[in-house]
Amino acid sequence: MSLKQEQLPDLELSALTKLIDSASASGNPVDATTIQVLHNLQHQHLWTNLQIHNLAAPDTSNDFPPVRKLLSGIPPNRVYTHPDEQLYMLQKGIREDELRPERLFVIPTAQGQPWSLRRMAFAFDALNDVEVTDDVNELKGPEVDAEKSKVLDEYYEKRTEAIATQEWGSKRMLLAMVDKGMGGDGTVVYYVVQEGEVKPRQN
Amino acid sequence: MDFQPTLPIPISFISGRYLLFSIDFVTYLRREHNICGVLTGTLPQIPQQNVFLGLPLELMPEEARVLVDKGVACIVDEAKAHQGMQSLLEEDRRKYLRELESQGLHASRIFAERKGQKKAETLKKIAEKKAKGKAQAKPQSEESVNAATATSEPSAANDEPASVVDFFAGDTPTPSTSSKGTSTGTPAAQAFHVTPATSYPPLPDPTTSSELIVFRPDVPSSYPLFAHMHSRGYFLSPGLRFGCQYVAYPGDPLRFHSHFLVVSSEWDQEIDLMDIIIGGRLGTGVKKGFLLGGPRQAKTEDGSEIERTESVRTFSIEWAGM
Amino acid sequence: MADADEDVIRAPGADTSQIDTDLSDETQDFRLLSHLNLYVPPTLTDTTSTSLPKRGEKDFEPNPTEFQADVLSASRQAMHNALAHPRIHNTKNRVIGIYAPDGPIFPDGYVETPKDVGKGVGVAPDCCIYIPSAKGSVFQGIGQADRWNRLWLLPEEALYMIERGSLDIRWPTSMTGTTEEEEGDLSIPMSLQAAYACMLGRAGLTMERYTVYTGLKRLGYSVFRASGWDDSAKPETPTTGDEPDAYTEPRQRGPGLSGILSCIANWMDDPFSTASPAAGPLVGCGIHRSYGDVYRRMSLIPWYDPTLAPQRDPLDTIAPFRVVFHVYKPSTSVKRSALPSPDFRIAVVNTREQTTIPTLPQLSALLQGTPIDPPTGEKMERLMYMRLRHGYRNVVLAVVDQGVSSFLRIGDAAFGKEKMYDSKNAPRGQKKHGNYKPRKR
Repeated sequence: MSLKQEQLPDLELSALTKLIDSASASGNPVDATTIQVLHNLQHQHLWTNLQIHNLAAPDTSNDFPPVRKLLSGIPPNRVYTHPDEQLYMLQKGIREDELRPERLFVIPTAQGQPWSLRRMAFAFDALNDVEVTDDVNELKGPEVDAEKSKVLDEYYEKRTEAIATQEWGSKRMLLAMVDKGMGGDGTVVYYVVQEGEVKPRQN
Repeated sequence: MDFQPTLPIPISFISGRYLLFSIDFVTYLRREHNICGVLTGTLPQIPQQNVFLGLPLELMPEEARVLVDKGVACIVDEAKAHQGMQSLLEEDRRKYLRELESQGLHASRIFAERKGQKKAETLKKIAEKKAKGKAQAKPQSEESVNAATATSEPSAANDEPASVVDFFAGDTPTPSTSSKGTSTGTPAAQAFHVTPATSYPPLPDPTTSSELIVFRPDVPSSYPLFAHMHSRGYFLSPGLRFGCQYVAYPGDPLRFHSHFLVVSSEWDQEIDLMDIIIGGRLGTGVKKGFLLGGPRQAKTEDGSEIERTESVRTFSIEWAGM
Repeated sequence: MADADEDVIRAPGADTSQIDTDLSDETQDFRLLSHLNLYVPPTLTDTTSTSLPKRGEKDFEPNPTEFQADVLSASRQAMHNALAHPRIHNTKNRVIGIYAPDGPIFPDGYVETPKDVGKGVGVAPDCCIYIPSAKGSVFQGIGQADRWNRLWLLPEEALYMIERGSLDIRWPTSMTGTTEEEEGDLSIPMSLQAAYACMLGRAGLTMERYTVYTGLKRLGYSVFRASGWDDSAKPETPTTGDEPDAYTEPRQRGPGLSGILSCIANWMDDPFSTASPAAGPLVGCGIHRSYGDVYRRMSLIPWYDPTLAPQRDPLDTIAPFRVVFHVYKPSTSVKRSALPSPDFRIAVVNTREQTTIPTLPQLSALLQGTPIDPPTGEKMERLMYMRLRHGYRNVVLAVVDQGVSSFLRIGDAAFGKEKMYDSKNAPRGQKKHGNYKPRKR
């Protein structure tokens, strides 16, 4: 360009940029992505009790783990309900807002980041070893009457069982992808990923 | 009783494709082995449309391979098998022609019967309408009779939805519709000639002749995922319509909607995350899941896909709605 | 937060029905065809017709109910019956064809006179079925007659005709042999399977080409082979590289003589403008009287003009991206001897052999092998988006995945030709009186 570059005024960095700078001292892009997704979950989707989980390297791999960090938190509303679970709830007259909140895991990724089945499988396998410290009081559901409470207890029991048998779906996580391509706008999209063949929701 | 064929079933290998010409085999594979294939042929009774298609049935190489590996089918080099036409025994030839003749006679008899019935029905309807018209003694009685004859003309199509009636708009020069509707005096006098669907008979059973049986079908690298899904009871179809490799149905596609758009990947093959988003979004838009999967096991030298199929892992992906 | 588009995706009514309205997209219930079955008494079909399934009436997943099992088994039985329907020929209107495994042959006992040497049979060498003593036009738009009044069929024509039950093909007695002196009627009829074994793979007839051919024939189109049918056919005169560039530069940028002249011309036209964009702002200070002039100055980016693209030989392309079929709408009356310019040109692609979308050079070659077909007519002149969609050249890609085909029309659009700032193109209607308009909900 032949034009002279004008001196730019000292603009203040965005809150997100500052956060990423301060939180990831390493300057590692993966960490930056994690922070960005965390920020998005917290402020756009109003998740609470957010945590970052560092994953250990797999025994077989000699270099760094294919996925380094997972996120987890508690969404304000249910993100996913398996179709059969939904049917059960409908039959028992249970509404989603009567249930106690539930921790959900998130794989933070950025557009253009190399991905493969191995990476996806690694993230799912790592889920078994992730330790979560939850404040029991935070996970209480809303107050309900005794009758409802009995129905809910039955539901929780059934749910534990259905999770073990995979009747109501299987191990699940959200795949978060940050739009970074072509100087992307920072949009984060979320997809529910479940291990195995889980029939789709119909609504 | 359901038809039980002698195994293995011969699959015709013609010009690099796996085809089936026998309706009994087609029905059997669908019922017992969750194999649908794709009908690509023209139905002779209703040839000017693409909604309902007929034989042959085209199988994907994956379908053929699953069947061969299970011992249910074998692959026959059909061009080679038909060279056998040159060495037919005189006796077999005559027997075959006699059989075709009796089939033709049977068809023409039924056809004449059917025509008689239709005619009687039409006449009866006209008579009923006439009687009605006279009873009412209204001036438009003549019109109503005309209307009755007009609607009963393609009598079989009367109560069908519009989409089906449309099929009759095209020219249908099959004997069953093109012959004159009025009585020709000797309807069953001459036998129809029949074009048989398959060449067995007069040709001898090809599955017993080792030189006609060809290699096991070559399959793409997505085969382990195909075999995995098939072993889980899914019916799989080509995925072109949804831009995926296979469409997976939880039951016979005749009666069930599909559940998954299936895409296969090798374990370390790089996947563009954007493709996962695209697949997930497309699937959610049509109330299907996007299923990504593949074998942990790399390809083996002997080309056996059994271990690879056992090592398949899959992931179901849907839009989170947030 | 989900944006508005996302809500639409999930809204009831905006579901699958909008996306796949093509009936052939899904497996349909064959019970709709029961009434057509010769071997099923009408009394039986009448009872089923009262509870005929409608499109989309399928279940989400199997359940252990007997009802579902019964419906499925009825559907399968109907499918079985429909597919078992015989191909029968009435003696009166039966058409017999004879297989000629080695291509066109002279009639028995014909001795070539010196005059006729080199003439051959006079039909396409790929023909392999003939109908002896064909009276009139047996099949519309199908076959070629020879000097002996025999009608010769190409493999796809013969296969389609036997498949739809309109042709009774016989093995030649030279192949199956005759022992005693028999009439021709004792020749052996060819089965559908035998016809496939003999015709498919013959003279370039792949399964995917045949699938596309029959798919169009069944809908009433007239379909003919194009010159690109033979994959190895090369153009007689190869396209040279020095055709004009289809990428046009909207304005001269270098000084050059013509550049200077045009600057002077511009100056005389609009003396207040700054002359050259290379040295200053695109739109300098001065009095600008029309937006058109301003936009014209701003158009710096070269654009593609399909009308300037070189015309290529259709054979100067590489399979599968070359035209193999010329297709005519059912309403067009066509004679093989004098074929008009086709309504559609079709290239056939097999997804298992071609797994990626075509590259730009492949697509350009394919399009440049088709004649210029600019958007004309009153409607095109009026509607800009229709013009863009129509393009200046077009070709149809038939993509076949294991028997399932999709047709994609590729048009060579010329966005650069549509000057949005010209008043005749300016968007009209709603936005004219300001951008904001409360939307109805």
